[in-house]
Amino acid sequence: MTATVDTVSPAAAPPRAARPHRRPAGRVAPYLMLAPAVVILIALLGWPALQVLGISFRRLDLGELVRGEVAWIGLENYRAVLSDPEFWVIGLRTLVFTAACVVATVLIGLGIAVLMRHLDGFVRVALQLALVLAWATPIIATTTVFQWMFDQRYGILNKTLVALGFDGFAGHSWFGSGASTMTVIGLLILWQAVPFVAFTLYAGLLSASKELYEAASIDGAGPWQSFRTVSWPAVRPLLTMVAFLSVLWDFKVFTQVWAIKQGGPDGDSTTLPVLLYLKGISGSHFGVAAAIAVLMLLILVAVTWRYLRLLTRSPETEL
Amino acid sequence: MNGSAPQPLTDALHKEFQETHKDVTVKYEVQQWNGIQDKLTTALAGNDAPDVIEIGNTQAPKFAAAKVLTDLTEASSGFNKDQWLGSLKDSGSWDGKQFAVPFYAANRLVLYRKDMFEQAGVAAVPTSRQEWLDAISKLRAKFGADPEFQALYLPGQNWYTLLSFIYDEGGDIAKRDGTKFTATLDSAQAKAGLEFYKTLQEASGTKAPKDTDEQTPEQAGIFGQGKVAMMIALPWELATAAKNNPGLTAQTSAFPIPSKNSGATAPVFQGGSNLAVPAYSKDQDLAKDYLKLLSGAKYQSQFAKAGMIPGTSTDVAALEADPVNAAMAKASRNGRAVPATPTWGAIEAGQNPLKDMLTAYLTGAKTIGVATADANSALNKAFAG
Repeated sequence: MTATVDTVSPAAAPPRAARPHRRPAGRVAPYLMLAPAVVILIALLGWPALQVLGISFRRLDLGELVRGEVAWIGLENYRAVLSDPEFWVIGLRTLVFTAACVVATVLIGLGIAVLMRHLDGFVRVALQLALVLAWATPIIATTTVFQWMFDQRYGILNKTLVALGFDGFAGHSWFGSGASTMTVIGLLILWQAVPFVAFTLYAGLLSASKELYEAASIDGAGPWQSFRTVSWPAVRPLLTMVAFLSVLWDFKVFTQVWAIKQGGPDGDSTTLPVLLYLKGISGSHFGVAAAIAVLMLLILVAVTWRYLRLLTRSPETEL
Repeated sequence: MNGSAPQPLTDALHKEFQETHKDVTVKYEVQQWNGIQDKLTTALAGNDAPDVIEIGNTQAPKFAAAKVLTDLTEASSGFNKDQWLGSLKDSGSWDGKQFAVPFYAANRLVLYRKDMFEQAGVAAVPTSRQEWLDAISKLRAKFGADPEFQALYLPGQNWYTLLSFIYDEGGDIAKRDGTKFTATLDSAQAKAGLEFYKTLQEASGTKAPKDTDEQTPEQAGIFGQGKVAMMIALPWELATAAKNNPGLTAQTSAFPIPSKNSGATAPVFQGGSNLAVPAYSKDQDLAKDYLKLLSGAKYQSQFAKAGMIPGTSTDVAALEADPVNAAMAKASRNGRAVPATPTWGAIEAGQNPLKDMLTAYLTGAKTIGVATADANSALNKAFAG
């Protein structure tokens, strides 16, 4: 925008009166129109966030909640959380889990998007349909199906592996250790997250027209070169966005983790959101849970700092 | 709560209460068990707190210790106190005071197929652990050719059953010192109980998963398929099992979980409910009148008729009429509760170390020493809140 104005203005500066947005009333109007949305956003998002921040500095157990007591204890909740070695183990586990999920989701999503760009007709529609169905299935339904597939005794996975000759998998427990359980949960998340990413990136790829690919191949570009020179510029901004969104989603995923094994066995698949649930909802230590929530937010901000800066600095430039 | 007090009881109770208290209308709401802890928390915190609430017995200490319930120590002498069910009395008390009154309870027993026992030549129901194991081997000898057959359905995480075995060995999950609890899962008695669980599980020929409890998959449904000779269950699970297999009710009876001492029954975990008056109830006197009426023999007898153990009456004669309920009544004299600590609710609603211990030991992932030591420290950590 500014660039356009700059090139025009030296030629002929229009009279000031012709610029209506210079009038004070005109300057206020857009903000007035924004106001209802901003007020609602602040009421629905800002106020609860402030409450959480406030509660994280209070002792708020069942008794305080029912009696309506406000007991300020400063940083005591944070001290309790941060001095528990378990928090660091769980925090690190959550970060590794998030990173693995995001990288896998984006890579597979990108692969499928490129595949869709090159498929034609019926096959592409079938693939898209399958993706939409995987995406549209309710979270808990998919989780239950995964539990069945990975079941120790009746699961189709163990039975298939045995049929293929891997006899060691007869009665193998996929939920016997934390690492194995996390892997199953990761696959489940992947299954549910890939369709959205694939469709988004596919939309990006569509902006690069077929002619560009043809031109590239005429110039003698191989598949890798045409991906790098034609596809990549088209999907890069979207890729950054879906990676960012995936970080947000995978970091705070709770339902699947809890439904699979309640963070077990021995708490070895507990992630930060599960810890928050255990402290807050199961244990009724709402102050401690609020402190964990605030810490989670800080971690998220730290992890996504670069993207957030890009976002706030120039919303219109390419990310 | 849904499935607790039978409707004829509450209807008659509210009629009588409103007749004796002229200007009072009882507002009675039945809640679902699912998510009840959160619902109670918000209800108690509201300006319009209920006057009488039902709480699950394992959740009662949490509410009592948080001082959100009225102290009923003095009032309870009017609530038939000399006949209270011991396990529920324990769960309703905290720091020497009584905050909740027993409501009703139930305990697990062994449901068995009379026809299968007969065909396998098991003449009398087992009255000791050894007889129980003998019955299982006879059943497996008779029906073992059928790959679907299970003499006893026993999933790996039925920790209520484990409690029975540990109590039977003279052990417990924890010992109490005033309001402080210390886990005792590493005791010799607890280990012996865990060992018997494994013995039984291996002997039973069960196909149940070792890493889930009796609700995943629902054991009643599996019993209902007719290939299972026994399951350790609550009396009303038979009705669930018989839903798709109506003939099952007539073919099934029950016996108390056998003890290692011949002729005795093993102590059982008693699940149930307590009644309490929220601290913010505006009509405390009415609430106490209501509890007095409800705890009387007249209404308590209806629990026995409905197949539950009454909380404030020792009269269980009405349970004798039905063979399954009779077995429960017999075992109920030896009922126990989980440690009455405010943190127990969180253990059940969160990550239960007893379940992890069972799975780890049964699958061989941990030795008995490591499994019990790990569970013990996890439990102590949970007790610390």
